[in-house]
Amino acid sequence: MTGQAAGGHEMDATSGLSPGTADAGGPEPLLELVAARAAYGPIEVLHGVDLKVEAGSVLALLGPNGGGKSTTMKVCAGLLPLTGGDLRFAGRRVNGISAQDAARLGVCSIPEGRGIFANLSVRENLWVATGTGARMEEMEEAAYSRFPILGKRRNQLAGSMSGGEQQMLALSRALGSNPAVLLLDELSMGLAPMIVTQMYDTVAQLVAEGLSILVAEQFARAVLPIADTAALMLHGRVVSVGRPDEIEEQLSSSYLGG
Amino acid sequence: MTTFLTFTILGLVLGAVYAIAASGLVLTYNTSGIFNFAHGAQAMLGAFLYWQLAYGWGWPVWLALVVVLGVVGPAMGGLLHALIMKGLRDTADVTKIVVTVAVLLGMVYLSQWIWHPEEARIVEMFFGSNAKVEFSGVVIRVHEIICLVVAAAIAIGLRLLFTRSRVGVVMRGAVDDPDLLRLNGHNPERVAALSWMMGSTLAVLAGILITPIGGGALQANALTLLVIDAFAAAMFGRLRSIPRTFAGAIVLGMTATYVMAYFPSAWTWTSNFRISLPMIILFVVLIVLPQERLRGAAIRTRERYRVPTVRRAAVWGVALVAVVYLLKLLMVETSVSTFALGMTFAIIALSLTVLTGYAGELNLAPLSFGAVATIVVFHFGVVGTGLAARLDVWGVLLAVLVTAVVGGLVALPALRLRGLYLALATLAFGVFLSNMVLRDTTEHTVFGVTFSLFPNGSLIIPPLRIGPLDLRDGDTFLMTATVLFALIGVGLIALRNSGYGRRLAAMKDSPAASAMLGQNLVKLKLSVFMISAAIAGLGSVLMSSAIGSVASENFNVMAGLALLMLTVAAGIGYVSGALFGGLMSGVGFVIIVATFNDLAAANPDLAPVYQAIGSLSVVSTALLGIGVGKSPSGTVHDVVESYRSLRDARPVLVGGAVLEAALYGLTLAGIMDNWWFAILTACLVMMLPVFGRMVMARVAPDEGRPAPHRTPPELVGVDEPYTEELRRELDRELGLSGHDRGPTPGGRRPVRSGAEEGNVHVVA
Ligand SMILES: Nc1ncnc2c1ncn2[C@@H]1O[C@H](COP(=O)(O)OP(=O)(O)OP(=O)(O)O)[C@@H](O)[C@H]1O
Ligand SMILES: [Mg+2]
Repeated sequence: MTGQAAGGHEMDATSGLSPGTADAGGPEPLLELVAARAAYGPIEVLHGVDLKVEAGSVLALLGPNGGGKSTTMKVCAGLLPLTGGDLRFAGRRVNGISAQDAARLGVCSIPEGRGIFANLSVRENLWVATGTGARMEEMEEAAYSRFPILGKRRNQLAGSMSGGEQQMLALSRALGSNPAVLLLDELSMGLAPMIVTQMYDTVAQLVAEGLSILVAEQFARAVLPIADTAALMLHGRVVSVGRPDEIEEQLSSSYLGG
Repeated sequence: MTTFLTFTILGLVLGAVYAIAASGLVLTYNTSGIFNFAHGAQAMLGAFLYWQLAYGWGWPVWLALVVVLGVVGPAMGGLLHALIMKGLRDTADVTKIVVTVAVLLGMVYLSQWIWHPEEARIVEMFFGSNAKVEFSGVVIRVHEIICLVVAAAIAIGLRLLFTRSRVGVVMRGAVDDPDLLRLNGHNPERVAALSWMMGSTLAVLAGILITPIGGGALQANALTLLVIDAFAAAMFGRLRSIPRTFAGAIVLGMTATYVMAYFPSAWTWTSNFRISLPMIILFVVLIVLPQERLRGAAIRTRERYRVPTVRRAAVWGVALVAVVYLLKLLMVETSVSTFALGMTFAIIALSLTVLTGYAGELNLAPLSFGAVATIVVFHFGVVGTGLAARLDVWGVLLAVLVTAVVGGLVALPALRLRGLYLALATLAFGVFLSNMVLRDTTEHTVFGVTFSLFPNGSLIIPPLRIGPLDLRDGDTFLMTATVLFALIGVGLIALRNSGYGRRLAAMKDSPAASAMLGQNLVKLKLSVFMISAAIAGLGSVLMSSAIGSVASENFNVMAGLALLMLTVAAGIGYVSGALFGGLMSGVGFVIIVATFNDLAAANPDLAPVYQAIGSLSVVSTALLGIGVGKSPSGTVHDVVESYRSLRDARPVLVGGAVLEAALYGLTLAGIMDNWWFAILTACLVMMLPVFGRMVMARVAPDEGRPAPHRTPPELVGVDEPYTEELRRELDRELGLSGHDRGPTPGGRRPVRSGAEEGNVHVVA
C-alpha cells in the first residue's frame, strides 16, 4: 500500500483539490473511478467500477453485504492500490497515491467501524487529525461546538466512550480539517436510530456548506434524503446509477433476488 | 543505616539503567508491534563501539559519546527498521520473534568476530571510579549520579514527547491502527523509523552506562543478557506504559541490590539467585499481570504449511533412514559421530515443530528442558562405571517423563499467556535454569541424601544401550538416532492428522473461536507443552551422550535460540524443517568453521581470508533467520513448492535420481571426494525444478488439463478466487446437495440436503 504513482503523475500535496481546475471543457468531477479494479491478494473484488462524485454533490453507494462498497472506499482513500483502471482527483490521474498523500490533498475518509484511536484521548485524537494540515484550535472548536459532549470528555480515552460518541469523534475529523471530499463508510453501523439521525444531520450541514461526499450505506433510508445521486453495487460492479428513489427500488429487489 | 542507604542508591542506579534500556524496548514495541529481542545485542554492540573509539583508538570521551549516541545509535535503529523490521507487517508472532532473535545472534557473532572474545576489555566509569561525592557518610560515584540524572531526564523527556508533542501522540496511535494514521495524513513507516532510531539510541546508552556498573569487563553474551533483564521492567508496564516501566525498573534494581546486601553471602547460591532475579521477576510479573483478551478474529498472516498424509510421511521416513545409511558408508568415523550429534539436535528441533509449528505456541528455551532431562539421566540412568558405563532405557524413559512433567509445570502458570508473553516466560525459565541449576555445583543434603545437581560444572553422560544395541559404536548411534527421528516425525504427522492435531491447528488460528467452540484450551496447551518437552528431553539425552561430557554452555539460551531460529528458517511447520534446522544448528556451524580453519591451515598465505570467510558465514547464518521475514513459511516449504510442479515430469525426476545415484557411486568408489559429492548434490537438488519446468513447458505447451486443485479448502476464497467450480467441489467434499458419496473422510454423517435438515429442526 505504499505504492508509487503507477505511470501517471503524482499530485503535489500542497496544490490541494479544487473543483474544475483541470483542462478546459467543463468542470471535472472531484473524485472519479474509471473501470477501477482492485484485489485482496490474488482475489479480485472490484471488477471495473465507474463512479463520479461531482463537486458539491452527494453520491450514495448502496448494495448488499460483500458488494464491494468498503473496498471502493479504500481505493478512493488510497489504502488499496488499483490493479486496473484509473483513480482521478479533479481530473488528474493519481493511481497509486498513498493514503497519507490523498488525505493531505483533501480526501477525508472515515472508515468502516470506528475511525478513532481507542488508546488516545479525545483531544489527542483530534490532534492526530491535524496531520492533514488543519490547525488544532480550529479542529477543537469545530468538534466541541458541534458535539458539546466531546468537549466534556476531551481527556477521556476514546475507546471508553459509547459507540455514538466515538462516531461523533470520527466525524469531527471531517468537520475540523476542511476537506474537499468526504468518504463515509457505514456511518450508521451499530448505532441507535436517533444517533444515526443526528449524524446525518451533521452530514447534511456539511453538504449545505458545499462539501462533496461519497457515502456507503447498506440501509438506504438514512442516506437517501441527502443524496443527489445513488449507485447500486453488486458483486464488485456498479450495476446502475440514478436518482435516489429509483435506485432504492432496485435495491430492495436486489436484496430479494440475492 | 549507611549500608542501607548505600545499597538503596546502588539499587536506584541499577534501576535507572534498566529503565533506560526498557523504555527503548517499549518505544519500538508500541510503534511497530515488534518486541525487539535484539535490544540487548544493540546495547552490547554500542558499548563495544564506544570502547573501540574511547579506549581502542583513544578518542576523547565526549567525541566517542557524540559519535556512538548521535550517529551509530540512530543509524543502527534506522537501518534495522528500513532493511528488516518494515517487512514484518502481517506476520505471525513466531516470525517476528525469530527475526529479532536472528538479529541478536548476528550481532553477537559479529562482535565476537570483530572483537576477539579472549581479549580483556574494560570500560571505566565516567570520570573514573574514584570520582565520588559524600553525603553524610554515603558515598556516591559521579558515574552513578550521571546514570540517575540521565534516567530522570529521559523519563521526563519521553513523558513530554508522548503527551505534549504531536509526533509523540502519533507514535502512540501507530500501534493501534497504522492505516488510520495514513488517513489522518501521517506516514506510519516514518513514525516507526523514528521510534527505532530512538529505541536503538536508548539501548546503546544503556549499554555504555551499565558496563562499568557490572564490573566494566565487556563480554558479548553477558552484556546482551544483562540488558535482557530489562524485559522484566518493560513487562511491569505491560509493554505500554513508560511510567510503569520506570517504576518496574526501580523495583527490579533495588531488589537485586538488597538480595546482594542482605542475603547471607555464605549461601553459595546467593549470587546465582541475584543474577537470575530479573528473570524470576519477569516470570512472576508475566503471570500476575492481567492479560490481553483473546483476540477475536484471527489475524491473517502470511505463513502457510501443508500437512502430508501419514502414509506419505512413512515413506519419507523410510527414505530418510535409507539415505542416511548410504551417506554413512561414505563417511569416516569422526564425520559419522558429528552427523549423529546433528541428528540428536534434529530430534530436539522436532519438539519445536509440534509446539510452534502445529500449536502456534513458542518455547525460546528448548535446550533448557533438555538440560533437565540430562540432569535426571545423569543421576538416575547410568549403570556401570568407567568405560563400561551405559545409560539404560529405563533411566532415559524416566528422564523423558520428568522433563514432560517439568514442561507441564512451567507451562501451567503460563497457560493463560499467549504468543509473545509465553515466549518470554519460557525465556525466563531458560535463563533461570542456566543461572541457578546449571551452576549449582555445591552439595545439598535433603532427607539425609547428599547430592549436587551439576557436580564439577560438567556431567559425563555415557552412551545408551538398548538390549543388544550399544550406542558406543558411532554407526549404531547414527542409525538409531535417525530411526528415532523418523519414528517421532511420522508420529507427529499422525498426530497432526488426528482430531487432536486439528484442535491444535484451530487453537493456533483463533484461540477465541476455538474456546467458543468448547475447546479446553488449557488442557490442549498443557498437553502439547508436555509432548514437546518430552521430545526435547529425549533429544537432549542423546545429544549429551553424543557429546560425552556436557557443561552448562551446551544448554545456554543462545544455543537454544539458534536452534529455534534455524528451524523456523527451514520451516517450523514441517518435520523436514526440524531435520535441516537441527542439523544446521547442531553441527552446521562446527563444520563450516572447521572447514575454513582446515583450509586456512593448508594455505597459510590465504589464512586470513579463509578465516574471514569462516566467520562471515557464521554471521550470515543469522541472515537465514532474518530471511524468515521474507519467506515466513520456511525454505523447506519453498523447495517443496518448487518440486510440486515436477510431479507430472517423471522423466526429469527419474533422470535426476539416476544422476544422483551415479554421483554416489563415483564417491563410494573413491573417484570423487565427499565435498564434490555434497556440492554437486546441492546443485542437482536446486536445478531439478528449474530444469523440470523447462522440459514440461516444451513437452506439453498447453495441455488444457486443469491443474490439480492445490489450495486447502479453508483458504479458498482467500488465497484464490472462489469460482463455481470450486463451490461444486466444496459441496462434494462436505457431502452437500446431491453428491452423496457416503461418509466423508472425517467420518461425519453426510447431510442430505438443506431442506431436509431444516425439517428435522422444525420437528425436533
Ligand atoms: N481484507 C480483505 N481480504 C480479503 N478479502 C476481503 C477483505 N476485505 C473484504 N474482502 C472481500 O471483498 C468483498 C467486498 O467486501 P467489502 O467489504 O468491500 O463489501 P461491502 O460492500 O463493504 O460489504 P458490507 O456491506 O458488509 O460492509 C467481500 O467478498 C469480502 O469478502
Ligand atoms: Mg463495508
